[in-house]
Amino acid sequence: MLVFAISDKGGTGRSVTGTNIAYRHALQGNDVCYLDFDFGSPTAGAIFSVGSVARGTRESGLHEYLRGDCPQPRRVDVWAESDREGLRTRPPGAGRLVLLPGSEGGGELSALSEEVVGRCVQLFGRLEEEFDLCMVDVSAGRSFTAELVLAATVRMPAVPFRWLVFHRWTRQHIIAADGLVTGTDGLFDVGTRFGHDPEVLRDRIRFVRTAVLEPDAAELVGLRDEQRAWLSACDSELRELAGRHGVGRTTMLGKVPLDPVLQWREQLITDEDVLASKIANVETAAAFDDLAKKIVDDNAWEGL
Amino acid sequence: MLVMGEVHTGLLQNSGEISEPACRQVLGLMTGETVRVSRRPIVHALSPDRLTGVDCVLPAASGSRIRGVGTVVSRCAVTGGRVAQGSSYVRLARSETDRRLPWSHYLARPGVIEVLGKARAADIAEGFVGEGAPRLHGCLDLTAVTGRFLDLVQTSPLLNRRAPFRMPRTILRWVAETGEPSIAFTLHTEQERTLRLTHPGPFTPAVVDLCEDLAVHDWLLTSLLVVVERARVGATPAAEVAARLSPAVDHLLHLWMPAARVEERLTPFWESLERRPGFSRQWRSLVDRVRDQLAVHTLALLSANAETGGR
Repeated sequence: MLVFAISDKGGTGRSVTGTNIAYRHALQGNDVCYLDFDFGSPTAGAIFSVGSVARGTRESGLHEYLRGDCPQPRRVDVWAESDREGLRTRPPGAGRLVLLPGSEGGGELSALSEEVVGRCVQLFGRLEEEFDLCMVDVSAGRSFTAELVLAATVRMPAVPFRWLVFHRWTRQHIIAADGLVTGTDGLFDVGTRFGHDPEVLRDRIRFVRTAVLEPDAAELVGLRDEQRAWLSACDSELRELAGRHGVGRTTMLGKVPLDPVLQWREQLITDEDVLASKIANVETAAAFDDLAKKIVDDNAWEGL
Repeated sequence: MLVMGEVHTGLLQNSGEISEPACRQVLGLMTGETVRVSRRPIVHALSPDRLTGVDCVLPAASGSRIRGVGTVVSRCAVTGGRVAQGSSYVRLARSETDRRLPWSHYLARPGVIEVLGKARAADIAEGFVGEGAPRLHGCLDLTAVTGRFLDLVQTSPLLNRRAPFRMPRTILRWVAETGEPSIAFTLHTEQERTLRLTHPGPFTPAVVDLCEDLAVHDWLLTSLLVVVERARVGATPAAEVAARLSPAVDHLLHLWMPAARVEERLTPFWESLERRPGFSRQWRSLVDRVRDQLAVHTLALLSANAETGGR
């Protein structure tokens, strides 16, 4: 299964949520690889705490591979190479967790050529043979990278793929997320142009809300009644807006609550962070765990 | 002077095993050329050979730049309708000139790379299978050539790509020379293996058959080990263990057929590997473990059934 993670705007927490989902999916016993296709700023290495590729790799990064400058992209075994003690041993029952870092200083793709699409198809084909889940972090907004993966997936009709659109729970983000999917040059538009069936594509796209503050959350206990009433009104207004823009509950795969740890540092939330040091909230880890299950659960992806 | 090659082995990307006619179609990479199929003791289909022209630097442990020009022979195979292989090899020969000749010269010698200038066979062999050998830019890349051939099979539109489980491809890199018989098979990382072979008599494609046969069995053993490890016997409930082991029963256990396609004069090599490290010994113990687990689970189900039935 290929899963493409995209967001309407930068700063939505796409990468940090995507990596956490990949990590949880590996913990659930599946072989997972994470491809950093965010060529403008390949920072997945930092989230997995692999210092040597924190800002991408100098040698054989994905960018170089797609350009045809190296025969195979570099693979980093997170269980072996992470600098974080809690990640360095593969937990019993966990699957493989492999990172394919981007190239340091690679820059966004500037054009889409036949060769690049061919290499992308080859890469996806081989990884799909080997891994249960290939999570691809596509950069924010409309980009050649998004076009590349749309062009590549249409050539591999037998390989299942899904899209996750990350957005924050605000007015601007809801509108932008809808625009990214249904707007001009959005996913539907470009996908249909490349030969995807729009109906099929629609069933393969789900939204994920990030940094969500629920009106009944524990963090809001100290607020005044007026503030709480205002937040509650905002929330229902947003729900109504989301429904109108097709970003409502039926197309939502899950939501990740606001967590102070993720606000301060992009990192994987391990069970140790939740249970031992207690710096992260139980709800956050549970949300990632839930998303990691739903991502492959066909019931969560049934046609609307 | 030296023959070197690579074999990539992987699970055929199809939900079930494919029939013999389907094998023929999947491997029919060239029109007009036939796919060779043998049926006993296991269905084995072999594609026609294809050539890739190369003019490149050869691997060398010393790091010296040795240029070679010629062609690489590649082919694909499907064993038991379930295991797919890509295989490439080249024979090295000294060139009589020190410049590149017209391609017709090389095409008349399929699978031969002519070495321009001075080179020692041992240096090239060590550069190809030795650990930590320097990789020069523009070096002969049999991994890329072989991988692409295996891709041709794996992406065939005749396959549904719904493989029953995920398994990495293994890569066997081998060198063969004529001399006093010896064999050294080494496991490196999870996927990489090397084989150094010294065989009596001149090189024939039977040596390639031996390498491919070894690669299939090494892959089977590696895969079965992974399946058993994933099942987490003892740490997960018996029903779950049984469910996780069942793909091995469905798709792997019946494929073990060591030395089935190895020429008589080369069988001593297989026999020596059977003595040490003992491929079949490890395989049998794993198979027994899988069957015992399933038997224990069946007994538990039966006794549970009997209890509820007796009430």
